[in-house]
Amino acid sequence: MASIEEYAKQSVEQRMARLGRTADELSAAIKGQSPAALTKRPDEKNWAGVEVICHLRDTEEAFNGRFQMFLAMEESTLLPADPDRWAVDRQYLRCDAGEAIAAFGKRRAENLDVFRGLSPEQWKRGGTHPARGRMTFETFFSLMCYHDDVHLDQLKRALEGKA
Amino acid sequence: MFNGGMPFSYYARLNRAQQAVYRKSDGVTELRLPRPATLHPLVTALDEALRTEDRLTTQRATERLVRGLTDALALPPVKVEVLAARPHARWGELHGLYTAERGTMPTIQLWMRTAKQKRVVAFRTYLRTLLHEVGHHVDFALLRLADSFHTEGFYKRESSLFYQLVPDARATAAPAVPAVRALESWLSEPLDARLARLERTPGDLAHAMRGRTTGALTRRPEPAAWSATEIVCHVRDTEEQLAGWIALMLAMDDPVLPEPAPAPRWAEERQYARHHPGAAWDAFGRWRDETLTLVRGLTPAQLARTGRHRARGRVTVTDIVGVIAWHDDNHLDQLRRALRGEA
Repeated sequence: MASIEEYAKQSVEQRMARLGRTADELSAAIKGQSPAALTKRPDEKNWAGVEVICHLRDTEEAFNGRFQMFLAMEESTLLPADPDRWAVDRQYLRCDAGEAIAAFGKRRAENLDVFRGLSPEQWKRGGTHPARGRMTFETFFSLMCYHDDVHLDQLKRALEGKA
Repeated sequence: MFNGGMPFSYYARLNRAQQAVYRKSDGVTELRLPRPATLHPLVTALDEALRTEDRLTTQRATERLVRGLTDALALPPVKVEVLAARPHARWGELHGLYTAERGTMPTIQLWMRTAKQKRVVAFRTYLRTLLHEVGHHVDFALLRLADSFHTEGFYKRESSLFYQLVPDARATAAPAVPAVRALESWLSEPLDARLARLERTPGDLAHAMRGRTTGALTRRPEPAAWSATEIVCHVRDTEEQLAGWIALMLAMDDPVLPEPAPAPRWAEERQYARHHPGAAWDAFGRWRDETLTLVRGLTPAQLARTGRHRARGRVTVTDIVGVIAWHDDNHLDQLRRALRGEA
């Protein structure tokens, strides 16, 4: 699995391709899986398959909120999110995985459109995250590739009953 | 075979014996206190104790209320421990804990401060957590269940105790069908009036939904109009969104406030129709308590901090509180209509 730094060295086209594949890879990973398998957590603390997918869906929306701020302001403060609270509050375990992938796919397409429309100056825009420091569009572009890899792997492990 | 309403998803992962316990738990939806009014002074005393922010004072008031409840329900006594800041882990915060080991008195532990901010928990959250843990004691000591699961029946029992303990004047201070006021009207109200509206809303929602079947709560009055469950999910997610705006306004000078998805898109993407109404209400209540605690702790200068809203232009934190009050009014009205079958 490539790190964020390794993705940063890849071309824009390569990373676009990575991000563009994810919805299909999620669909392939859950093909033929029963609702029970998709909602089974490998252990008490680790997410079930459907929770991983809903996390990707909601994170994609959160990324878009960051991007709105980057485009509207010279410099932003990035407030941390609480994905574990989202999982409980938004009742991920009651969601349908296929519908969640479809929603993720729409959000992803919108974010790829944002990236495609950026000028060279805009790629450098960003904000400061309390834990991660300064993050730009460029940082998020690579981070999202890595994030997809991590959660695709987590999804496959969850479906095998592994944390 | 599950014969009740829709069980929580973990039901499928339980073994047969556990499923039988789940069904039994789910079938009991109310706990009647013989004379709830006799406990109201203890509830008021607990509210006052929590406001002192003193752990020992809160511990004593909590012990008295728990003892009152166990006596009223003819339950064996339970030990109570009130602790300071909640433990925090990657998976969330622990609000309360019930432990029962053979040969020892069961124990209820409650945390009176939030993990991250170390603020004293809002009274309603604290009381609800207390009743939640008492609910586990009820499961073992009164219902004689072999395990204590978080079933819909469990949450309804907790809710039934809450509404017997919180006097009607507190829970339903709003008129039965409040007029929906214009946003500008709310923006002319003092902050205290806005906060009072915010404080009432979880109780008003619960009061409107109390005793309704899952079917009634999830039924749309017409294809394009939300069900009560979807409305509760909407106010829950809006609370998180608006709390995020306030946090941003406190962290930055005059930030542009990011626009959320249109509400119908949230409903579809987050699959509100599949959500459990009680759990959605519970999550909303926690967000609301945090909003109230945050806003009440702000200085006048912080309340006057600004952000830029796409449609309304420059808004202050106090304005956002007015928006929430107006939003509450609107959706309470919509929820009551949905339950009457009206769009």
